[in-house]
Amino acid sequence: MALSDSSKKSVHIKPDEQFDFFHDERVRSIFYQFLIVAAVGCFIWFLSGNTARNLEARGMHTGFGFLKVAAGFDSSFKLISNEPGVGTYGRIFIIGALNTIYISVLAIILSTMLGFFIGVLRLSNNWLVAKVALAYVEIFRNTPVLIQIVFWYIGVFSLLPRIRNSIDLSGGAELLLLNNRGLYVPWPIPGDQLWLTGAAIIIAVIAIVILRRWAQNRQDRTGQIFPTFISSAALLIFLPGIVYFMTGMPLDWDIPKIEGLNFVGGATLPPSFMALLFSLTIYHASYTAEMVRAGVLSVDKGQSEAARSLGLRKRRAMSLVIIPQAMPAIIPPLISNWMSTIKNSSLAIAIGYPDLVSLFMQTSLNQAGYAVELVGMTMAFYMVVSLAISWLLNIYNKRVQLVER
Amino acid sequence: MTIIKAVKTPAATPPLSETSVIGWIQKNLFSSVLNGLLTIATLFIVYTAVKGFSVWGLVDAVWVADNRRECFSINPDGACWAGIFAWVDNIFYGRYPREELWRINLGIFSLFIWMIPLWLPGVKAKISIGLTTVFLYPFLAGYLFSGGDKGIFMQVMLTAAIVCLAGNTIHATIGVFTGRSLPEFLSSLFGKKNVNEKSRRNIFLGVLALSFVLIYVWQMSWNLEGVSWTKWGGLFLTLVVSGIGIASALPGGIILALGRRSNLTAARVLSTSFIELFRSVPLITVLFMATTMFPLFMPEGFVLNKLVQVIIAVCLFNACYVAETVRGGLQTIPKGQFEGAHTLGLGYWQTMGLIIMPQALKQMIPNIVGNFISLLKDTTLVSIIGLFDVLTMLRSIGKDRTWLGLHIEPLVFGAVLFFLICFAMSKYSRHLEEKLSTGHNN
Repeated sequence: MALSDSSKKSVHIKPDEQFDFFHDERVRSIFYQFLIVAAVGCFIWFLSGNTARNLEARGMHTGFGFLKVAAGFDSSFKLISNEPGVGTYGRIFIIGALNTIYISVLAIILSTMLGFFIGVLRLSNNWLVAKVALAYVEIFRNTPVLIQIVFWYIGVFSLLPRIRNSIDLSGGAELLLLNNRGLYVPWPIPGDQLWLTGAAIIIAVIAIVILRRWAQNRQDRTGQIFPTFISSAALLIFLPGIVYFMTGMPLDWDIPKIEGLNFVGGATLPPSFMALLFSLTIYHASYTAEMVRAGVLSVDKGQSEAARSLGLRKRRAMSLVIIPQAMPAIIPPLISNWMSTIKNSSLAIAIGYPDLVSLFMQTSLNQAGYAVELVGMTMAFYMVVSLAISWLLNIYNKRVQLVER
Repeated sequence: MTIIKAVKTPAATPPLSETSVIGWIQKNLFSSVLNGLLTIATLFIVYTAVKGFSVWGLVDAVWVADNRRECFSINPDGACWAGIFAWVDNIFYGRYPREELWRINLGIFSLFIWMIPLWLPGVKAKISIGLTTVFLYPFLAGYLFSGGDKGIFMQVMLTAAIVCLAGNTIHATIGVFTGRSLPEFLSSLFGKKNVNEKSRRNIFLGVLALSFVLIYVWQMSWNLEGVSWTKWGGLFLTLVVSGIGIASALPGGIILALGRRSNLTAARVLSTSFIELFRSVPLITVLFMATTMFPLFMPEGFVLNKLVQVIIAVCLFNACYVAETVRGGLQTIPKGQFEGAHTLGLGYWQTMGLIIMPQALKQMIPNIVGNFISLLKDTTLVSIIGLFDVLTMLRSIGKDRTWLGLHIEPLVFGAVLFFLICFAMSKYSRHLEEKLSTGHNN
């Protein structure tokens, strides 16, 4: 047997003679790595060679020069102005990226809020409420998000009344008007001195931070509790409010009005936008709810019992003991859920919301060619976003770990 | 002073909330005023939702009609399920030739027959049954679904698959009734009760070889009409794409995860970047990449059809997600297990295959099933790049002239269909997790 042989030998072999070229771990490791790299290198060489040959055979151009070429089409929804026939493909890329970020950020905020709400309901000691929340989670998690998106688009937002019979969501004030062309909302027109109000908000936030520090210090020293929540709320509302009125209310609203067959003024959120926002919010909230529930349940039962026996009320026990310990368990999956919200926003292509994939990977690809560059740029955008988010997550994880020890 | 009671004190009656219905309602629904209000509000919401849906979907619904106009004339407020019934074949089978549908049904039926032994108690060698499902069933299904001319390789694999299917089924039947395996049964059939392992195996292999030859000769006369992949569609296509995805994502994911945790720098860097690349982009971009770039990657004159492109993309994409799940499972295995295996003199592959993976896989089951559920749901994306999957079929009902504008009902039907499949899968995975847990985790 090999085992007994080597053990016998090792008794009277000098250490420096043990090096056996074919059985040494380091040599083998280098050899295997060389094999792997060679195989992958050959594969990539094969693919890129084929690609180059195919591109040449089809007479397709390469290079990023097309980004400066005017695109012959326009985006139906955009955050920055664009003129069809003048705006370049580079501009189309920026429009698409902004549209993707815009809807993702909104969906992330809304789905996180809704998800926390449903997650709390899921933990309710009211049996009925908990079961209804469970039904919500199971129904929306187990249905493809694409079907939900298409359902909201075709089944809800396209079936709304025509412009003449718009639904008024603001209760008669004609500010939020919903019809089959989308949601019409007032759009702010900032005045000259609005920056003063903005500065006041920042000052208020800084003041709140200082106030909280001071209140915490005082509570540590004397045990007296300062009503931080009410005072911060007052600071945040009154300071900017006073500045806003003193500068003469420098903010106008562009309110949508019916003129002829269409609305003029305000901003329009098209049905595809609304459908995507609704479905992404509802779908991802169901995941968030489960994360919140799992996070809170992961905190040991003894913690809440100990908090109660210290005399903390249920609400204070929740905010001072349970939530701070549950957060490290909630945040990482929550952030990866945000990541998948961004990725799922690319399903906009199914209902015609012009996001990056739809504008760049579909329309531009059909119009301009340049398959390799367009696909590469789109994927690179998502990769950069995802790398940035996982970088933030790593920072958070490190901080949490330090707190723990 | 001591007090001694001669009579046993009767046990206090359990609290009302534990015994009576009213007590339970009081405890769980009306424990406080706020809770009571919450209960009533929730009841109202649930009542409105359920009533609205059931009136639309059941009470006012039209079940039999020839077209949407007729639906409207019967009841304009209800769902028009008649359209779904008219399209049910399209939803399930796409544009597959109607007279050949038995092939799909037979293919799915044979998968069930193949898999049933895995659930039956008293059946031995479940691992090899599972492996044959993964490696041989695709050939049987592939031939049934696409038909056409079969080359020598396909004939051999097809025969092997059929032999295996028959063998599995007989083996399982014997296992359930007598608790023995097929080789044992065969040798006792030939009157050899107490034979050694070797001759038992020889008999078994002999019978297998004989049946292989017989079936090979038999299948030579089969002549199924070829059905092009462009005719595949509906839920059938969704299941084919996600089925292949599931079957290949697990081994692919395991290899990638091992690569990511490997000591070899090259393997680690390559697998990590591969995994992160695919995990950071949406599936739809991978699908677009597959349809636009794969043709460029191929050598001249070699054309992949769109279905194959999509399947490759789905497999790569899901392998990366499964890889992260597997890595998570591997991380839960304590270091002592690796060291113990090393001490026993096991090499890398033996350590992984015999010691680490069996423990890790067991812990990963819920997450892997979660991956599979999201794979199944994500498969609806192939409709965007123009395959006739179930969502395309559902959306084209409303474009059909007889059912023009019938949009909501098909989508509700599709949602319910997916819900049933995914919900059943997740419930089953939880059951499996409980069944497999040995009670000494942690």
